Amino acid sequence: MSLQAWFRRTRAPEPAAVRREVVVLEPADLFDVETTDDPDAAPVLCCTGQSAGAAAFGPLWLKRIAGSGRHAAALSVRGQGGTPEAPGGPEARAHDIVQAAIGLPRQAVLVGHGRGAGWACLAAARYPAAALILVSPQGMPKHPPKPVGAPRVLLVVGETETQSKEARAAAEAYGVAPLTFPGTAGDVFEGPAAEALLDAVLPWLGRED
Amino acid sequence: MQEYSSQAVYDRGEAVCVIGAGASGLIAVKNLRENGFEVDCYERDTVLGGLWNPENQHSPLYPNTHLVTSRSQTEIPDFPMPDDWPDYPSSAQMLDYLKRYAAHFGLAEHIWYGSEISHIEPVEGSRFEVVVKPAAGSAARRLRYGAVIIATGHHAVPNLPAYSGQDLFRGTVLHSSQLGDGSRLRGKTVLVVGGGNSGVDIACEAAVSAAACVHSVRRGYWHLPKYLGGEPADYALARLRRRPRWLRGFLTDRLLKGPRELSARMGMEAPDHRHTDEEPVRNGRYLEHVGDGSIERRPDIARFDGGEVVFTDGSTLRPDVVVLATGYRPKIACCPPGLLGVEGDSPYPKLHARMFSPRVETLAVAGLVEPGVGTLPIVHWQTHAIAHWLHIRKGDPERAVNFRQQVVAESVQYAVESTGLSPRHRLAVDAEEYLAGLGRIIDTLEQEPAK
Repeated sequence: MSLQAWFRRTRAPEPAAVRREVVVLEPADLFDVETTDDPDAAPVLCCTGQSAGAAAFGPLWLKRIAGSGRHAAALSVRGQGGTPEAPGGPEARAHDIVQAAIGLPRQAVLVGHGRGAGWACLAAARYPAAALILVSPQGMPKHPPKPVGAPRVLLVVGETETQSKEARAAAEAYGVAPLTFPGTAGDVFEGPAAEALLDAVLPWLGRED
Repeated sequence: MQEYSSQAVYDRGEAVCVIGAGASGLIAVKNLRENGFEVDCYERDTVLGGLWNPENQHSPLYPNTHLVTSRSQTEIPDFPMPDDWPDYPSSAQMLDYLKRYAAHFGLAEHIWYGSEISHIEPVEGSRFEVVVKPAAGSAARRLRYGAVIIATGHHAVPNLPAYSGQDLFRGTVLHSSQLGDGSRLRGKTVLVVGGGNSGVDIACEAAVSAAACVHSVRRGYWHLPKYLGGEPADYALARLRRRPRWLRGFLTDRLLKGPRELSARMGMEAPDHRHTDEEPVRNGRYLEHVGDGSIERRPDIARFDGGEVVFTDGSTLRPDVVVLATGYRPKIACCPPGLLGVEGDSPYPKLHARMFSPRVETLAVAGLVEPGVGTLPIVHWQTHAIAHWLHIRKGDPERAVNFRQQVVAESVQYAVESTGLSPRHRLAVDAEEYLAGLGRIIDTLEQEPAK
């Protein structure tokens, strides 16, 4: 985040505070999976653009992330799931993500899906994420701001959308090659395509570089 | 780390030494780590949080300390406070916030507690030898670092005025830092000395808990309530500064008119400076306590006379407790004064852009400013710049030289430097101008290297 962006933000009204729904699953909560809880591993905070919010990640994502030994959390931004509606555009939703991230025990990985990817990349310009993962991004800002703390960025898109404008713009903005998974943007949360997607994302998170 | 004899010097390579684990030290450690530096942070006390931690034996907290700047203007830019906290968090919340910050970024593992730095000294050009004062019974440790950041703050030494006849006074004389939980004020006749934020806060505390409260103030201050125009006062005033200049003066005057007229009605001396020149007193309750008579105002103390205090207007008072809320002086004992640009025995360093040593490139001081706004963001941007600078210096000496010139140019602009009036306010800077300067420095640092 640049000093100038911070300066402008502190001189504008703060988005209204809302009670945010954050669903958390810790490795210790899993009874049926054998996991090794690594307290130093960065927690993962997920956010989607779909109106279900945190609930969308519940059945598969949180379980798989916690199964990899990480503190897994999913957030409903204002107007989604169990979080009440409140005024504000993408900036206010990015504020929701930052507020949820500071509530986690350690520096978190931000995962944004769909429109949530656009909010996550705004949030990553205000909060030093441990890593930034954009899944099938939509509604990305025209010039995504530079993330603070130089996190690693992963762009994941479905096979059918590799040539989409959004995917190409995001790839160019962050200078990364997109990782593709077999399926479409609609397959992110369930089915074999979603499993394959997580099979690719989780090892990437664990990689040290 | 293993044990060392007093002779052996342990070389930490390019690691950076941060002195102090208060708010400034923690922010420095986090920003250095983010730029890939190894960091050792030394804290003389056994807890982190510096002045915000009441368990710190050097803590200057007084009863019921709250922030005087609002949450949005005080929080660390990349780690905001929870937005359901009040506009003016308490010192306990502030400590909680700093502990969360340290835990979130895993800073605690880099802090060495109970380790006071007794001396630092440049060696081999720009590297530093750091001597850690031994704990009882063991030998001093010597280590070498690539750079040193001093973050010991400016609440080092209580500033204690001396009045004639004070040593014969039979009542209790305390500095504000010795007040503890404030139970010593209950039912007593209390004289509070000093018109700054701490003096005014303590007077308000005594107004409700003590038998009588008299407040001795030497000169005029700006008294602002914590809210102006339905918004936190610092936020409301900061926003006005985004307006065009001709409109700004008018709007600011209109906003400050009420508080100014109220102070005049309470018989206070009009301040002889602008409200941005030094930290204004931000306490909405004070003027009401003066208005309902629970705080009585007096001028400066002339002398102590037995059990009595004589003021400059000739009036007298027989107090049980005298609280000296007379502030602090900075003191950086571990560093040779020459490195900080100090001439003579002044405790006020002369630094480039108020953070870089004018003599050694790898020595910087974080948080030695009083910007009149929240200090944490200022320290964040300072340490952001310092960490970037050390990073570039390591990789690209040519750019480092250009940058150095920029910093010197920025500090020349600050030749007028402090706008503060009393010696207590010599660290004051105009936040807006200082941040703009920091912004230019950071922009220079973040420019892509010319290929």
